[in-house]
Amino acid sequence: MVWILLAIAFFTSISGKPVDGVLMLIVAVGLAWDVGRRALRHPGPDGAPARTGQPPARRRRFVVITLGAAAVVYAGVVGSFSRYSWPATAIIIGLSTVVVLIGWHRPAQDRPDGRRLPVAGTLAWLVVLVAGCLWELSSLLQQPSLTTDSYAHPTISTLTDPLLASSPGRSVVLLAWVAFGWYLVER
Amino acid sequence: MIWHGVTIAGYLLVVAGIVVLQLLATRTEVPVPSFGELLTRAMRSRTGRVGVLVAWAWIGLHFFAK
Repeated sequence: MVWILLAIAFFTSISGKPVDGVLMLIVAVGLAWDVGRRALRHPGPDGAPARTGQPPARRRRFVVITLGAAAVVYAGVVGSFSRYSWPATAIIIGLSTVVVLIGWHRPAQDRPDGRRLPVAGTLAWLVVLVAGCLWELSSLLQQPSLTTDSYAHPTISTLTDPLLASSPGRSVVLLAWVAFGWYLVER
Repeated sequence: MIWHGVTIAGYLLVVAGIVVLQLLATRTEVPVPSFGELLTRAMRSRTGRVGVLVAWAWIGLHFFAK
């Protein structure tokens, strides 16, 4: 995982996104340090103690409504800023940092050891997802340069530019991004 | 012009593959895990959890941040 993050940091930096690259580098170094520290203290898997118990339904409903409203406000505000502006950058980095730190310290989901994923089905997922990544990489490498778009070989970023050009479009995508982050934190 | 269409067709094929696998996982008895189960499995360890969340963060940074 650390090597993957380092690779992402490198390629992101040379693609003209140094802020992303530095942040990925910080996480990679932090993760390596954390794993090494835990291995020295407690040799074994790096998983944390299992999470048990759920909050009461009433409290959970309140939390869901509050966070949902906050997510809508967040998406509306950040979507009103132009892309790649410093205010948008600062607010995106802020939420990303909070979510990654929550995930870093949160105990692992309680999951029975015997419930393994079917190998063939998992491989099918890997084939599709890796094919998608390679197709995107192929489009990126066929651009005139890493920072110049190509009409013949558009990347996902290029294809989404028209949607993200407007404030409502940005807000909708940001809301989906925040919702997906929330979904991941709940895993 | 033709390569523009081919490139987009490739992305659509990947999206179709994701949809088909998710439908197989959730609507049939075929032994295919759902996307959520894959994520849960990947996030069982601290390293996997941080990795998946960083990938999520990267998407936000890539599309909106400097």
